[in-house]
Amino acid sequence: MPLSAYLTLAAVLFAVGFFGVVTRRNTVGILLGIELMLNAVNINLVAFARYNADIVGMLFTSFTIPITVAEVALGLAIVILMFRMKRTAVADHLDILKG
Amino acid sequence: MTDPALPALIALLLPAGAFVILAVVAPLRRSGRPAAYLSVLFAAGALAAALASLRVASASGGFSSWLWAWIPTEAGPLTSVGVLADGDSALMLVLVALVSFLVQVYSLGYLSDEPAPSLGRYYTYQSLFAFSMMGLVLAPNFVQLFINWELVGLCSYLLIGYWYPRPEAARAAVKAFWITKAGDVGFLIGIVLLWRQAGTFDFLELLSLTESGLMPLAGLGVITFCIYLGASGKSAQFPFHIWLPDAMEGPTPVSALIHAATMVTAGVYLLTRTVWLFRLTPDVMQIIAWNGAFTALLAAVLACVQTDIKRVLAYSTVSQLGYMMAAIGAGFASAGFLHLLTHGIFKALLFLGAGAVIHAVGTNDIFQMGGLGRKMPQTTIVFVVGTLSLAGIPFFGGFFSKEEILGATLAGGFPGPFAMLLVGAFLTAFYMFRVVFITFAGAPAGAHGHEHHPHDAPFSMALPLWILAVLSLGAGILFAFWHPKAEFETLGWLTPTAVLVALAGIALAYLVYQRRVISAESLARAFTPIRVAALRRFWLDDLFAFVYRGLMLTLSRLVGWIDRYLVDGVLNVLSAWTLMAGDRLRHLQSGRAQDYVYGIALGVLLLMLWTRWPR
Amino acid sequence: MTLDVVAFWGLAVVVIGSALAVVLTKNLFHSVLWLALSLTGTAGIFLSLDAEFLAAVQLLLYAGGVITIVVFAIVVTERLVGDRLTQVSRRLLTGVILAGALLVALLRFLRGAELPVEQPVIAVDVTRVLGQVLMTEFVLPFELLAVLLLVGLLGALYFARPED
Repeated sequence: MPLSAYLTLAAVLFAVGFFGVVTRRNTVGILLGIELMLNAVNINLVAFARYNADIVGMLFTSFTIPITVAEVALGLAIVILMFRMKRTAVADHLDILKG
Repeated sequence: MTDPALPALIALLLPAGAFVILAVVAPLRRSGRPAAYLSVLFAAGALAAALASLRVASASGGFSSWLWAWIPTEAGPLTSVGVLADGDSALMLVLVALVSFLVQVYSLGYLSDEPAPSLGRYYTYQSLFAFSMMGLVLAPNFVQLFINWELVGLCSYLLIGYWYPRPEAARAAVKAFWITKAGDVGFLIGIVLLWRQAGTFDFLELLSLTESGLMPLAGLGVITFCIYLGASGKSAQFPFHIWLPDAMEGPTPVSALIHAATMVTAGVYLLTRTVWLFRLTPDVMQIIAWNGAFTALLAAVLACVQTDIKRVLAYSTVSQLGYMMAAIGAGFASAGFLHLLTHGIFKALLFLGAGAVIHAVGTNDIFQMGGLGRKMPQTTIVFVVGTLSLAGIPFFGGFFSKEEILGATLAGGFPGPFAMLLVGAFLTAFYMFRVVFITFAGAPAGAHGHEHHPHDAPFSMALPLWILAVLSLGAGILFAFWHPKAEFETLGWLTPTAVLVALAGIALAYLVYQRRVISAESLARAFTPIRVAALRRFWLDDLFAFVYRGLMLTLSRLVGWIDRYLVDGVLNVLSAWTLMAGDRLRHLQSGRAQDYVYGIALGVLLLMLWTRWPR
Repeated sequence: MTLDVVAFWGLAVVVIGSALAVVLTKNLFHSVLWLALSLTGTAGIFLSLDAEFLAAVQLLLYAGGVITIVVFAIVVTERLVGDRLTQVSRRLLTGVILAGALLVALLRFLRGAELPVEQPVIAVDVTRVLGQVLMTEFVLPFELLAVLLLVGLLGALYFARPED
């Protein structure tokens, strides 16, 4: 398979994830979209690493995956905290930044 | 000393110093009488300096100028400031200083009832005026002259409107300012055009240009006409004369100073100063002569129907200014200038005398006076001396100069103006003696004012009166035996004719108002149309008001509309759009992170497009 | 039609299809499950790229850890809120347009670039090399990662503490 195939796959996945981020009303749903986008990035990195015979891409990925995990954990912690405060999961209602 | 410029400069700076001190040191100014004494003292000093300058100037016969360069430009200084002292300017300087000093002394008595701060304000203005007028007289170039011209106009406004709580006074001050301003615009245009033509503002340089024949003639007529416009604004020539009668709302000493002897003569003085320029444009000279004679006659007619003593004198001033202008237009500026000097003396005398009468009786209306000859003998004597001078009776001040003017108009080839001036002389004698007979002779009439007991003026007012009377009479006697050589051939029949005409006027006034042989009513009926028109001031004021109201107010309303709806409208529309845009854009800041992601994505897209557009 | 190609396309379908399901399903819990499938498919992609170690990491951490966390979070919030969490998506059209634009832009970028077509032959063991590099050249980021995870753990604990 040419490299472009993998990159295309990653691009499509990224777009789908992005669509999820901007359309979902539930905060957790938004986080799921973010997951997809990060996933796409990982695919990109690994594909480049393989086709350029450079290990650094995979190294990068092995860092991003744990970081993503940490980020998800923290994000959900925040979501739970928001729930406690506002009693809602709907992202539309989380508009404290409004200005 | 041989340099007349130094004392001239001192004479100029003394009243300036008085003004600055009074303007800056407010407590002194508000104290009233001390401020007055300061101003009078400085005015006396200025008079002494002016006399010294005259003595030197007439002895040396030359001129001298002290100049300091001003407004530096790349091509050298644009103009200069300083003094140009020669025979004419020294004479004028003395006149200004003398009348200024006498009027200030007189005002000590006339305005003795004024509250102290107002009195201080009055003397501040008086000093400023003295400085401005002297600066005008001594100006070496058009720029300084114009600046002082405007300053003089400002002082006129301030002093006419001295009693500004009175609406008539305020209106009169504004009217004077407006109308002279109209002339001044023409004057400024003329100055600028002249500079474009000749490249300089300086009088001496312009004079040498003219004499050496290097003055370009193209468009010079326009220039001189524009300058004449300025002169006729200040010197109340038709149709700009309408501000002078209304200016009588100011205190009488102000009228004596500004509207008899000095400011109104500035126009005449200007033309005298620059007559060599006007000689190059004979057409404009013709206009000056005819308009001058017409003004003289018109004002004389108007003076015949006035009942306010000051108004009579105001129209008389307009008339005499017309005489001066006629002489200049005829080509003999020295005759006009001589009359300026003599007129300055006796008109100031008449005004101050009228002031004494008003101060004593409490009214300006001559028909409420009467029989004052017995109650105020001194005032009567000096007033009659002034009247005889004005009427042009031999051995009195105005005789010789008026005759010179009549001769000049004839010699210059203006028979029409000559005739008008002759009729004017008849009327002058008539209306002045009308006033004399009604006011001083006859039986006391009307209310003499409840608390007023007519009596002669106090010393501070009487002294200037006597000085002026002596000067007027003295000049008359002097000229009878020695007079400056005329520039033209005096015709033999001129002098007797002039005297006869004056005597005829006096006789008519005597018959009508003293002996009541001819009734005033029948005289009035005989001249009804003219009389009615004269009472309406020939509708000139109404014309001006109409033009002003119609033209200017319409214009200003139009401009106002444009300003409100177009200029402001554009701004208002823009601001409304901005508010609307802000309102809509506010929704961008929804506070929802999801929406911000939109923004980020859009931005990234745009960046991608931008960097890779020509793919 | 080699195995390579078939495998790639199959995995691609799985990944994209389940990703679409993630973003389109109304039920949040179902979304999470579809995400699990997508992540597993990604692990398969890694395998086809000879990144066995990463495939294992993906399965362990992502498909295992992240999914677990998210499930727990959903259960907890459902309890808090009190009703079943469903969601209706909003602004579908603009989302589609924007995502589509993004995709198009990305693809155009790709088209312009010179990309290798063949997978180069690798002689070494990827995992071994990865391990070596991780412990020598990139040991500093590795340690920092550990610190980061610790901090994240503490933060999560703090946030999720019971109200007193």
